[in-house]
Amino acid sequence: MSGDSSKLLAKALTRLKRSIWVFHLNTGSCNGCDIEVLDALTPYFDVERFGIKLVGSPRHADVFLMTGPVTRETLPKVLRAIESMPRPRLILALGSCACGGGIWWDTYSTIGGYGKLKEILEKRGVVVDRVAYVPGCPVRPEAIIYGVLVLLGAVKQKVKHEEVKAGG
Amino acid sequence: MSIMKLLSIAARAKVVTRRYPFEPPVVTEGFRGKIEVDPKLCWGCGVCTRICPPNALTLKKREDGTLVLSYFMGRCIFCGMCAEVCPRGAITVTKEFELASLTAEDLVRNVKHDVVRCRICGRVIGPAVEMREATKSVGGAEAKYYDLCPECRKLVVARGIMTKVGVRP
Repeated sequence: MSGDSSKLLAKALTRLKRSIWVFHLNTGSCNGCDIEVLDALTPYFDVERFGIKLVGSPRHADVFLMTGPVTRETLPKVLRAIESMPRPRLILALGSCACGGGIWWDTYSTIGGYGKLKEILEKRGVVVDRVAYVPGCPVRPEAIIYGVLVLLGAVKQKVKHEEVKAGG
Repeated sequence: MSIMKLLSIAARAKVVTRRYPFEPPVVTEGFRGKIEVDPKLCWGCGVCTRICPPNALTLKKREDGTLVLSYFMGRCIFCGMCAEVCPRGAITVTKEFELASLTAEDLVRNVKHDVVRCRICGRVIGPAVEMREATKSVGGAEAKYYDLCPECRKLVVARGIMTKVGVRP
């Protein structure tokens, strides 16, 4: 990518603060997280007050919302959907399954969450501009809203890597 | 549904939308969020890593000889079983759920444990804190064996008995 377009891309990333369009794909989840996504769209949480809207095609989407540990069956579809998204490409990994594989972290039929998907995407040369991991099993609608805010850089993330020494 | 009917329902229901990012979230009594491991109480016994269904809690051995109890929030299913089985009560379930992060490393919490090595062969026996606390209840003649691994302990005890009986080992 030439310098000029990467500059434009960085500008686009900073401008992307509200009214994002989301493409939701169930990559083999149990539907728990999908129900919570639905919950976030109901009048109780109403994400449309931020302009967040689900769209039917990845070509229209700013954010790729994935729930589930990415089963082997859905992997080609996931790759096709991510590759057809325009840049800047943002991914929201929703739930424990999408973040780290969850309860299916080492089963033969799933690849084990976004960690492995990232390696596959890198191998194929697909650039992902930003990722947000939203743990929860299932995630609360509030956590989804918070995750989107973290993804867009509207709030600072609370969790931080920590290593403490034991001693009693 | 006619618009008048819809308006009458809306007038009755009023505004139900929660203004979440601008007001505190509604967290119920029984809600389980991320877990917190108290490094002052943790012994490093690893019971929590055995009960953990998705292996979010793992006990890893490092090159430098330390044991690390690693908690990966990204895989945790927030079942709270670790808090239930912890013999020391070191794990507490908090109500924290705003855990979104931009990197997977930020979701990891580690508790580092020093280890005790066998006096004779140098093999790792267990975490230092657990050994120290467990040997408090052991006294008398047995106290001199606790920094030995099971194999060396057998050897030392056998040699002791043999010299007492009068057989040359």
